[in-house]
Amino acid sequence: MDVIGVVASIVYQFCTNTAFLLLCALGLIVILGMMNIINLAHGELMMMGAYAASATYSRGAPFWLAAIIAFIAVGIFGTLLEVTIVRRFYGRELGALVVTWGVSLVLSQGFLLLFGPFMPPIQIPEGNIALGQYSFSYYWIAMFVVAALLVAALWWIYNRTDIGLQARATMQNPSMARALGVDTRRIYMMTFTLGAALAGLSGALLAPTTSIMPFMGQQFVASAFITVVVGGATNVIAGAVGSSLLLSLVKTPIGFFLGAFLGTVALLLAALIIIRLIPDGLSAAIQRRLDLRHRMR
Amino acid sequence: MTDRTAETHMDTAPESSNSIAPDRRAIVKGMATAGLAAGVALPTYLRGFETSAYAQTSAPVKMGFIEDESGNLSVYGIQKLHAAQLAVAEINAGKTLKGAPDIGAGFLGAEATVAKNPPVISKEGTSLAVVDDGGAKSPVDLAYVEDADILVDSGEKGILGRELQLLSSDGQSNNAVWQQLARKLIQEDKVDVLVAGFASAEREAIRPIVDQFKQLYFYTNQYEGGVADANTFCTGPVCEQQVIPTVQYMVEKYGPKCYTIAADYNFGQLTAAWTKAFIPLVGGKIIGEEFIPLSVSEFSQVIARIQAAKPDWVMTLLVGQNHHNYYPQAAAAGLKYPMASTVNMAQGYEHKRFAPPSLARMHNAIQYQLEVPTARNRAFVKRWMTMFPNDPYIGEMAQNTYFTIHLYAKAARLAHTVDQQKVKRCLELGWNIEAPEGSVFLEPGTHHCAHPIRLAYCDEKHNVSFLRDWPMIQAWWLQRLGVNLIRSPEFKQYTPDEDPYFKMFTI
Repeated sequence: MDVIGVVASIVYQFCTNTAFLLLCALGLIVILGMMNIINLAHGELMMMGAYAASATYSRGAPFWLAAIIAFIAVGIFGTLLEVTIVRRFYGRELGALVVTWGVSLVLSQGFLLLFGPFMPPIQIPEGNIALGQYSFSYYWIAMFVVAALLVAALWWIYNRTDIGLQARATMQNPSMARALGVDTRRIYMMTFTLGAALAGLSGALLAPTTSIMPFMGQQFVASAFITVVVGGATNVIAGAVGSSLLLSLVKTPIGFFLGAFLGTVALLLAALIIIRLIPDGLSAAIQRRLDLRHRMR
Repeated sequence: MTDRTAETHMDTAPESSNSIAPDRRAIVKGMATAGLAAGVALPTYLRGFETSAYAQTSAPVKMGFIEDESGNLSVYGIQKLHAAQLAVAEINAGKTLKGAPDIGAGFLGAEATVAKNPPVISKEGTSLAVVDDGGAKSPVDLAYVEDADILVDSGEKGILGRELQLLSSDGQSNNAVWQQLARKLIQEDKVDVLVAGFASAEREAIRPIVDQFKQLYFYTNQYEGGVADANTFCTGPVCEQQVIPTVQYMVEKYGPKCYTIAADYNFGQLTAAWTKAFIPLVGGKIIGEEFIPLSVSEFSQVIARIQAAKPDWVMTLLVGQNHHNYYPQAAAAGLKYPMASTVNMAQGYEHKRFAPPSLARMHNAIQYQLEVPTARNRAFVKRWMTMFPNDPYIGEMAQNTYFTIHLYAKAARLAHTVDQQKVKRCLELGWNIEAPEGSVFLEPGTHHCAHPIRLAYCDEKHNVSFLRDWPMIQAWWLQRLGVNLIRSPEFKQYTPDEDPYFKMFTI
């Protein structure tokens, strides 16, 4: 048996699954994780990113430029959405859930009416490398690297910049932050914009792997929510990274040896078990461990 | 008269609610509502009475139509809606398709020179441009040429002098909505014929309602086969017309080892069962089968398993927009296996929606897709694009819907009535109809159609050619099961489990 090939294939599949979960969850990490807005329009924001990318790509722009344009376009839309609708629902989670669900319906049907049943496809950037009987597409390898870089950039923004500090303060205690001079309304708007922009970027990055249709967002929503919720709100970024790694670790071997169906079953069972044992998410458990160790020192 | 009737209602309302002893306000409200209802109901009743007295010469013939114009299946539903609109417009303008009961398909036998290979049709646009005409031509003795002109005058506008009215509703890709719409069309609008259904789940959701009211129902979609229902006429192709020619060709050309990936619901499972039952008969075998849930859209693991199995060719029975992502992902991963399907390309035009070479080496045995390079189809496509210039494609189901509606008009005209039971008897004569796909024959006992079948092949650039043509393949499975809906009406769907011949050669 081609051992090196099998091992490489399993590692590649692990990276692919992790990248997929992280990219799905990227925008939601910010909006659900940090602002606690249950954004059911997340799939549609990704869809809009894919549409923006398709529209620019089919006019001759290179793929990376199309992705950046998607980032900016959906970010602007996110700002508009925040200012007009989402702003009124801070603190009212169920209201936010219902209103974002309504927004998702309007967006998906609206895009169907405006742009028809599908958009011109984006070709997956060429190239694959072969190892034994397996071949690996450069694209997914690149996606894994890009997802890692994006998460690192997000972490850097939130932990190493002033804006990030203000954002974290606002999330922790808005009234105290306001008392200390932080413009909380602006922070909320910027955070939502960033979340929407990231969702748009993920949509653009994942667009080559799927057909670009008004309802394409649905395929990403479940994975996004599972990843973010299992990760937990204590440390959203670390949580999302941890949960996507852990869930992929469960899904990859089972999916490879027993099939995609059982792989998905395993992933969902793992999520179920983790949430049952650690209701606040993985990051909460890790944080408790770290606090304990810190106190014992 | 209105007052007296309202009074009757008023008398009964308080009596029935006496035991609960309602207050005065409730009674008055109730009487007002009853009075209003009676007042509103009465004119309608009178109107209905009038219409029947006038012997229906002016009322339109109502065709109920349900397809998914929104939601996940809208890419198929919108095509079928346009097909219905085109057919109804043609019927109302006094046109019909050639065809008559009981006769078979006829051709002109003429001397011709032929090329060695079939013509290759370009994937760009809808004008069926020929990219490669098949090479040098050498003389042959006789070729069969079908009629180029199939749209002829019907001799009247509409059906029996009455306008054909299309009552179309949007099923929204949601089975519960389908049931509501079916009830509304059958019970409230009292349609003379119902043409509806894309997914098998949708058909099975409304078929009980159809049977309850003995509604004449046409299901125009390709499906897994087996529906034996005296009220239902299935004019789409079935497994024995699609799976079997494809599998035979693939095993002959590429080798015996097949790996199946299928959507994990009844259609995918049943079609995979057909593949598995038939392939040993031509010397092939299934070396692996994977059923993928409809929600999966990321296929790296599926691709890795296929690579590990090393088949000669892959049978892809993937349904829905999530599953279609398999093609670009497999192409990007460098998968070069020839593929066969019974559902992709001809319905959802993946070869136009995905960039090449995602669908390269795809084979599909179908009765129709846009690229069929016959003269009658070119004329049909031209008519369609004149009415719907922005449409990207005409898929197999749309064409089925088109000829089915024309077939209904012909049957009603022959029966001299739109009475549903009489039209059903008339349809059971056995009908030949000249459709854009070729000559189709509606078989009397099984209510299914014999179709001309072509093996469509999509090359590296996504141009389409038809590698092999079968002039007519019957829907023989229900015959083998002994179904004769004329002699013994039934209302069920058969599955391969009920057919002992399926297990004859499978391990």
